Amino acid sequence: MKQLLTLLFLITLGSSAMASTLFPYKYQKDVLPNGLTVIMIPMESPGLVAYYSVVRTGSRDEVEPGKSGFAHFFEHMMFRGTKKYPAAVYDSLITGIGASANAYTTDDYTAYHLNFAKEDLERVVELESDRFQNLSYEKQAFQTEAGAVYGEYRKSITSPYALLNEKMQDLAYDVHTYKHTTIGFEADIKAMPEAYDYSKSFFHRFYRPDNVVILIAGDIDMKSTMGLITKYYGGWEKGYVPPAIVPEPPQKAERTGEVTYPGKTLPIIDIGYKGDAFDPDNRDYVAAMLLADLAFGETSDLYKKLYIKEQKVEFINGSAAMNRDAPLFEVAAMVKKAEDVPYVRDEAYKTIAEYQKTTVDPQRLNDLKKRNKYSFLMNLDTPDKVAGGMARFVALTGGIDIVDRLYAQFETITPADLMKAAQKYFVPERRTVVVLKGAQ
Amino acid sequence: MKTPAFMIVCLMALLSPTPMTGEYLVPDDHIVRLPVPNDPTICFRIWFKVGSQDDPKGKEGLAGITTSMLTDASTEKNSYEQIIDKLFPLAASYSATSSVEMTVVYGRTHKDNLKEYYPLFMDAILAPAFKQEDLDRIKSQTLNLLENTLRYASDEDLGKAVLYNDVFAGTPYGHITSGAIEAVRSITLDDVKGFYTSHFTRNNLVIGIGGGFDGETLGMLRKDLGKLPEAKLAEALKSVPKKLDGFNVTIVDKDAPATAISMGFPINLLRGTKDWYALAIANSWMGEHRNQSSHLYQVIREERGLNYGDYSYIEHYPNGGRLTKPPQNVSRRQQLFEIWIRPVPNETRHFALRAALREFKKLVDNGMTEGDFALTRNFLRNYVLHYAPTTMERLAYALDDQFYGVQGSHLEIFRKMMGEMTQTDVNAAIKKYWQYGNMQIAIITKDAASFRDALVKDAPSPITYKTPKPESVLKEDKEIEVFPVKVKPEQVRVVPVTELFLK
Repeated sequence: MKQLLTLLFLITLGSSAMASTLFPYKYQKDVLPNGLTVIMIPMESPGLVAYYSVVRTGSRDEVEPGKSGFAHFFEHMMFRGTKKYPAAVYDSLITGIGASANAYTTDDYTAYHLNFAKEDLERVVELESDRFQNLSYEKQAFQTEAGAVYGEYRKSITSPYALLNEKMQDLAYDVHTYKHTTIGFEADIKAMPEAYDYSKSFFHRFYRPDNVVILIAGDIDMKSTMGLITKYYGGWEKGYVPPAIVPEPPQKAERTGEVTYPGKTLPIIDIGYKGDAFDPDNRDYVAAMLLADLAFGETSDLYKKLYIKEQKVEFINGSAAMNRDAPLFEVAAMVKKAEDVPYVRDEAYKTIAEYQKTTVDPQRLNDLKKRNKYSFLMNLDTPDKVAGGMARFVALTGGIDIVDRLYAQFETITPADLMKAAQKYFVPERRTVVVLKGAQ
Repeated sequence: MKTPAFMIVCLMALLSPTPMTGEYLVPDDHIVRLPVPNDPTICFRIWFKVGSQDDPKGKEGLAGITTSMLTDASTEKNSYEQIIDKLFPLAASYSATSSVEMTVVYGRTHKDNLKEYYPLFMDAILAPAFKQEDLDRIKSQTLNLLENTLRYASDEDLGKAVLYNDVFAGTPYGHITSGAIEAVRSITLDDVKGFYTSHFTRNNLVIGIGGGFDGETLGMLRKDLGKLPEAKLAEALKSVPKKLDGFNVTIVDKDAPATAISMGFPINLLRGTKDWYALAIANSWMGEHRNQSSHLYQVIREERGLNYGDYSYIEHYPNGGRLTKPPQNVSRRQQLFEIWIRPVPNETRHFALRAALREFKKLVDNGMTEGDFALTRNFLRNYVLHYAPTTMERLAYALDDQFYGVQGSHLEIFRKMMGEMTQTDVNAAIKKYWQYGNMQIAIITKDAASFRDALVKDAPSPITYKTPKPESVLKEDKEIEVFPVKVKPEQVRVVPVTELFLK
């Protein structure tokens, strides 16, 4: 906390002598002989610890046909217990210590997280290491859990955004696994109960120490914590088998599609451009992250025009995602009248064209850099936010030193870099446009 | 950070400016302080004692829209665009939440930006411009929520909205905070101005301030908010719901891919009392929100795989699909006990309803076992530590403490009570506040008429699974399938989704 406070002061003073390291906490990174990476971030917190196990496998790794959504399904299975601690025993032990425990799956990784009182650290290390090494479930439990996953799909699919994302990913990608969403195709979810044997192989290939990073933040003593990690995870055998992900060939021409939402909704337009994989050394990529905000964020001229002045849209936003492989950089808007969809689309194109031929006001760029740094630090005020905030960086790169490299690169980006990024990424041949309309 | 809170409070009192003649300062008992001296940021939460219960008849949604006209719109000094531009480099913002009884305008800034941030924040509250174009934009968003999002995009949110509207029909709580379509359409600038003048007054607010603030800042706040007009307002009548008699069911008919169920009944119990903490233990065991420890979750999801989760509540819990810990500043004088069944396959809807009601009845009839009681008490003692990790959240809890008249901190009392509570206390609270037979039920499903018929006939609802289940589960299913849930024909209402939230 003290480091955080000092840095927050530095930023608002506008110090140009800002340290090249932005991440405010001292931390230690170790790699066990079996390849397990451990990152410990001690910070002042009232006796609380956040414990994240980041498996560097997500829906991106679902390379086999018919197995979309399996990384997410497997996340559910990780709560089904071991021989030593069957599910009911695991649950009652976690309940007994009052831990806040859950998990989530993304395109690039799966994270299991617990928040608990520091005196329960050994219990948590033991339980987590046990299920990561010795997960054991019967076919019946496996098949029942498939029902819960289908339930999760059913509760989500009523959202128009779920349908829109599904269509966008499917249309934009031909061979890469980003073609499917993290929850997966409905047909594959339906077939999940049949995949018991496959699930065992999934566990043995991906749930290996050389594919996992443990992140621990909060009220911890690093030496004794490392002792516990070594004791409980030391015997875990390495053996990660990287999936053979087929790279997406360059897109050659614009793609367009429509999707009909069975309910009632205002139309939504989603414009996606093939970007690049996360890489702070790629100046074009880093510039695109800033460009998305300046061109389509709330201080952009387009936002003010379409949302505030003309009131043509319910929202408009832009984003350049951080992914292991090339994601889509997206501009999305909900349009109030169906007949205005082409107008909103063309206004977005005009904005891009403007950024391709004109440099942005340097003051706006500086304001954004300052805001980004500050927001990043403001969000690191609890152990859970620190560990959770670092999870994606860890998943993409295996560590958190990349954060400092990213923010250092932000500092070097100039208006000319933004123009270059606009010219490189936001071009018709990289573009996929999907319009969602309501049926009613 | 280690400075005792009471010393800080004393210091603040000394630093507070002495009132000058003719100058109104928000009185000390309307201030909630949460100092964190080393924190370089300051949190503001300005609580106005107003909410959707104060919406005039025919203008349902006015409190929420008026609040948005403060925080998402122009002020007399700056257009909305200018406000966005000015806040941006400060890396600060302000916003508001408006629930049935509480409206809170809140924001957080770094101390070094306070000079630029503070006037913008104050202007939002003291000098809103009330421009027609801002009202048009905000109304459009509210209407989109009512006409489209709520009816179609999330059936579980829809189920909860229908449940609350039904239970509190005819009372000031009897409409959701977003209001109703016809009412929102009719709201004019004059309505907003009038509502603002009468409800956003200096005698109707509480200042919440936390983090690294100083006496001077608090003094300014007291003085500036003291410039709001004073108005005598009768407190909205407490919403007393009609007495439930048996199972009252509303089935919303739509082309739903799955069936969402919310049900419950009013309970006369508020946090701060011993019974509340006793019932919190029983409720946590029955249905701790988004937690595997929930018994309903175990029975319906873990053993049978029917859905994504099943939970229960003794306090209002809006946005449950997005939150994992209880929301703050949604306090209310009248609470419901509520069961939330996340969408189940349509063919298992009757079975799932029975399964949940049967488990609840068992708890009401038999109470908690010693083992379940001990486990849940230990769970909650630590689990509440995760409820408010940030200064902003703790400040929000402190405002809620004032709303409920809690002597001290609810979260601290919660932990303390977990050490004192006995199994007898919990089972006595169950008997006192929970009952099984009278319940309001909201169901979002397709082919509503056939479900109505099945309910009225109390027809058996056998379940078949696509995958094998243990013998113990199949045996219990036989009991669940015929578990009696008797519904009188006149107590089932079928409503097409298009008819919801019209007025």
